[in-house]
Amino acid sequence: MIKIKKLQPLPAKRREEMPNSKLGITFKEWKANKPNKNKWRNKRWGVLLFFNFLFWASFAFHIGILEGSLSGSRFVGIYLMDPYNALQELFIASKTGYFAMLTTNFFIGFFVILMFYFLMGGRTFCSWLCPYHFLAENAEKLHNYLVKKKKIKEHSYNIGIRYIFWVGFLLLAFFTQTLVFETINPVGIISRAIIYGPGLLMFWVVALLLFEIVYSKRFWCRYVCPIGLTYSALKKVSPVGVEFDLSKCGHCKDCQDVCLVPHELWFVKRGEATKEIHATGADCTNCGLCVDICYGDALKLKIKGFDKIM
Amino acid sequence: MGKSKSDINRRQFLKNGAVAVVALGAVGVGANYLKKLNIENAKTLLRPPGAVNEAEFIYACIKCGLCVQICPIDAIKLATISDGLSYGTPYIDPRKQACDFSCDAMQCIETCPTSALNFIPFKTAGEEAYVAYNKANPTPGPDYNPIAIQAKAMKANTKMGLAVINHKTCLARNGESFKGVPREEGFEGIYRSPNPKRKERKASPVNDHAFDRELCDLCVTECPIGETAIIMEEKIRNNGQSRWRPMVLEGCTGCGVCVMVCPSTPDTIIIEKLETA
Repeated sequence: MIKIKKLQPLPAKRREEMPNSKLGITFKEWKANKPNKNKWRNKRWGVLLFFNFLFWASFAFHIGILEGSLSGSRFVGIYLMDPYNALQELFIASKTGYFAMLTTNFFIGFFVILMFYFLMGGRTFCSWLCPYHFLAENAEKLHNYLVKKKKIKEHSYNIGIRYIFWVGFLLLAFFTQTLVFETINPVGIISRAIIYGPGLLMFWVVALLLFEIVYSKRFWCRYVCPIGLTYSALKKVSPVGVEFDLSKCGHCKDCQDVCLVPHELWFVKRGEATKEIHATGADCTNCGLCVDICYGDALKLKIKGFDKIM
Repeated sequence: MGKSKSDINRRQFLKNGAVAVVALGAVGVGANYLKKLNIENAKTLLRPPGAVNEAEFIYACIKCGLCVQICPIDAIKLATISDGLSYGTPYIDPRKQACDFSCDAMQCIETCPTSALNFIPFKTAGEEAYVAYNKANPTPGPDYNPIAIQAKAMKANTKMGLAVINHKTCLARNGESFKGVPREEGFEGIYRSPNPKRKERKASPVNDHAFDRELCDLCVTECPIGETAIIMEEKIRNNGQSRWRPMVLEGCTGCGVCVMVCPSTPDTIIIEKLETA
């Protein structure tokens, strides 16, 4: 077995070293200093709703700016492809030998979307564009409320099973020669429902949301969605992300409470951080909720290496 | 030896993973079953021009709806869940709105990013017609227009299906005349009439055109392809009486304009999908 050498955590800060103590104020005063503004969340929801509206408006009013749907579209003439769909197509083509469908536009779309989300931070797609995320994010709030009121119990699974789903759906596409995942993909279903009008398949989305509200938090996004996992891979190498500055952190862990993928903020716990500056990992959707809530501005949305250039 | 955290994690992964694999298997079996059903089901779905075989179409189509959006007369619709695995794929209901080649350029085929609507045969046909036209007209005259020839060749290359006429209900076959607008009140289908007398650049509602024919022949006169696709054929019976009836020829593209303009009820003409390998 290859053992990855883990960095030793830095010594935990003493109370006197904490940023609030340095300012000579109490923790409560420090927290009150920055009221919780929903700056990034509002921006994000604005962008999400705007682009989904644009999809609808492009068709409804024949504007032709953003045609198609989230499974494949054309933004002012540039083709865009859902990367997981594209991967499935490549897989099926390798079996059937029908390569004609891999047109130039297909590769342009695939390449452009990979480049774009490499630059924009991978899972940015999830929280800034995905219509299912918007519903699930609000469902998550409801879920948290119900858990807090002790109406329901939280059920969590091993997050690794999404790799099984990622490979599994590709294999299913390969063996059945259909886009199996696209048939049950709530992202595509909602996107088409917005643009071409809802159908009966919306009940599947509603069922998923209900399951997420009453049983397991963010079940689809966390454990299943292979689109998100594809974007995660891009995030690994992407320069955009949330950066954490240990010296400004008061370890209140409020950010972890609001975070949609709390395991990515493991370093905010006192005595866990191994470096002065940490960047969030592959699952971070750059939603900015932690940036909004952080009282000491320890968390920031940043482009890596951008400071050096400037 | 106590259980370490990674041990518990591995155990949980194996447990959840097993459930995931079972779930995937169920989805796979379900999809395979639906696919078999779908081959029967999809025969009734008339695909847009240039559609490849159903077996390839079902995976080549990523259900983006770009063809739906580009169609200037909104002929293409997306199938609903009642069509099973074909959910979200495009089809044309010619009785409601047929493809009348209003765009002249096969835009739905051109726009398809995954070649579920395959443009290559059309491109080839267009190019060949262009070359042939240029050979025939080495010195361009004033009415030199290869584009129209090219568009015509591309249209003729379409094979969505073949029109099939039920002669029992056909007005012409029964020797009936036709006067008035073709379809019932409130019918919204549009098409571009090929009739030179009313030549229009844009498509207009079917019911804006009033006809007065001694013998109904709308399907023949309104066909956008013309006499290579459908003609009126005279048939002399044993008792010496002559009967006229519309005849579908090999050039029929299956666009469905005849289906849309046919004034008889119940539907006399249907488009049958071609049996391709």
